Amino acid sequence: MRRRELIGAVAMSAVLPLPSVLRAQQLFRLALTPVFLDNDAAVIERLRDALSAGMGRDIDLVQRRTYQEITGALLDGSVDAAWLCGYPFLQHRSQLSLLGVPVWRGQPRYQSYLIASAGDEASGLEELRGGVHAFSDPDSNSGFLVTASDLARMGETPDSFFARTIFTWGHRNVVRAVAGGLVRSGSVDGYVWEALAAVEPDLVAHTRIVSRSEWLGFPPFAARTDRMGDADVTALQRALLAMDRTGAGRKALDLLFLDRIAEPDIGLFDGIAARMAELRQPR
Amino acid sequence: MGVLMIVLGMVASQQVLRSLSRLHDDRLREIARLHVEGLSVALGPLVLHKDVWEVYDTLDRARSASDGQRMLFTVVADDRNRVLAATDPLRAPVDSNAAPFSEDASDLSALTASGNEPQVRVRAPLRVAGRTVGQIVTEIDVGDLVAERQRVSLYLLLANAGATALLAFAGYFLVARMLKPVTLLAQHMDDAGGAPSRIPESEIPKSDTELARLLRTFNAMTGAIDARTEAEKRLAERERFVSLGRLSSSLAHEINNPLGGLLNTVDTIRTYANRPEVVEKSVELLERGLVHLKDVSQAILDENRLDRVGLPLRQTDFDDLKLLFEPEAARKGQSLDWQVEADATDLATLPAAPVRQVVLNLLLNASAAAPEGGRISLSVRSQDGGIELTITDDGRGLSAQDLDRLMSSAPVAPGGGVGLRLVHDLVAGLEGRIRHAREAGRTSLAVFLPKREAA
Repeated sequence: MRRRELIGAVAMSAVLPLPSVLRAQQLFRLALTPVFLDNDAAVIERLRDALSAGMGRDIDLVQRRTYQEITGALLDGSVDAAWLCGYPFLQHRSQLSLLGVPVWRGQPRYQSYLIASAGDEASGLEELRGGVHAFSDPDSNSGFLVTASDLARMGETPDSFFARTIFTWGHRNVVRAVAGGLVRSGSVDGYVWEALAAVEPDLVAHTRIVSRSEWLGFPPFAARTDRMGDADVTALQRALLAMDRTGAGRKALDLLFLDRIAEPDIGLFDGIAARMAELRQPR
Repeated sequence: MGVLMIVLGMVASQQVLRSLSRLHDDRLREIARLHVEGLSVALGPLVLHKDVWEVYDTLDRARSASDGQRMLFTVVADDRNRVLAATDPLRAPVDSNAAPFSEDASDLSALTASGNEPQVRVRAPLRVAGRTVGQIVTEIDVGDLVAERQRVSLYLLLANAGATALLAFAGYFLVARMLKPVTLLAQHMDDAGGAPSRIPESEIPKSDTELARLLRTFNAMTGAIDARTEAEKRLAERERFVSLGRLSSSLAHEINNPLGGLLNTVDTIRTYANRPEVVEKSVELLERGLVHLKDVSQAILDENRLDRVGLPLRQTDFDDLKLLFEPEAARKGQSLDWQVEADATDLATLPAAPVRQVVLNLLLNASAAAPEGGRISLSVRSQDGGIELTITDDGRGLSAQDLDRLMSSAPVAPGGGVGLRLVHDLVAGLEGRIRHAREAGRTSLAVFLPKREAA
């Protein structure tokens, strides 16, 4: 059947130019936010293999530098679904729906870590005042929202509290910035930090956790609500939820240090919503 | 020759080292330029936007990409020279002053590895669209270049020293080989205490080179010298007879004069044969005359025979000389002051023949120089370590030519007698010396002869 389609497409392309929309529809596109794996080709490969096998069709995994680009691509339809952070999901709650939530160490939750270099003796956020701080992404829950809302509670903003803040566009980069001494402290995804501790222990060894946030909803897989009925999207959801039961899926999950993908529960993200509300609240 | 080789070697080494140094500097500059330019292209826009993370990320990836290679440390500063990021943020924290890093860094064009520092620091401006937006300072590891240069320098010096030594040795060998005939010549020239000796034909190089010809010419010369020495010896031999010859007329008179008296005495004896007192007196007279004649003829005979007898010098030798010379002085009406006061043991250390010849020649010379009725003197005295013979006359003095003959060993100018030269040679043979003085109208020749070890 695919071969027939391909032959047809080749035959058609000989007669008239193929509309780009048509091509885009033919390849299912899943966008990935820059989690720890964003520069590990093997992990990406395995995930694509698992999902392709699960969906019974080729899929394209799309990576972008910022969360905003991923969210934008999901909203404007240039990607069909995305694995994104709970924070941007909630920001666009009205347009997006959940497909599944990864389960990590037995629960679909994770923490945000405040980290500093291994030799730093700070015991809390307050003691990091006046330093240079690294955030992951302004649209990241663990890499920005948690620390920013903590500061908001203290009546501070990141710019008033820290001497300088930088965005590193990736959780692994936050760890690199702290480990290399570029910044004194950083806000990082606890799941990514723990995964890196297993994969790149030398890098992580240069950092230490200053404080951990409460448990918050793990970055979910989402799609545009208006496309939730599409066969492609439901096929992806099926594939995601069944990943831990297929060989390829199991391999991909192992590489990602995840247990499985669970049925979505919007209530998981109440914690993030509460922090969003605190940040928005004028002081 | 060797020194020249060494100097040449050093100059060559210096040149090679300088070229090597220039080559290394060029290579270093090229490395630094590529390194800095590559970073500049990547960093320019990031610095323009003061994107700390991206600058750090770029540096960090460049550093890990060149892990263990050249880049040791790089710091990037913005247009106000504040640190944006560095490969080692602990050394150059974000927002700190970058001046300490850029101050002692050199520009790309001035970069050199000649300081033998294992690392160099270079700075370059970061430009975006022709505008300087910041600065990059980077430390580059040139340890390998420095080590390579030091290694090459060492090898070069060793090789050069070796080559120089080899060349010097070869040069020495060649020159020694070339000089071998000259050495041979020098040896034979100075053989056996100054006298040249013939070089055996077997030692002369077979080839008909200049040197072989030189050696043959030398041999011919030694032959000539031998011949001349031989001739001089014969001449000296003859000189003795010449001295006697010069005395012959005086001696003839010396013999002839008494003969008249003696014949008269014989007549007297015949005439007064019956008067015993007259006869006795006449016989005495006759005896004295005959003894004198015997003495004179004995002195002449001795003079002729002396060279064959290695007799020591004695007082009587001077008596003989007086006997021989007195008639000559008397013939010219010259007075003779004769003083022989030397110690007999001192005299006996010297051979009689050459001393007699020297004294006789000098006396004859003095007599010839002194005018009729002039004054001639001989004194023989013991002196510290020898005896001194002094002969004076009141003649006009010795000519420069005569002095040359007497005092120097320079070749004798043709013409003139060989008497004085014979004196010189005999005195030299006895290791003595001659002093000449001319004062108050008198010529004085003092011959000092050192005592010789008893044979």
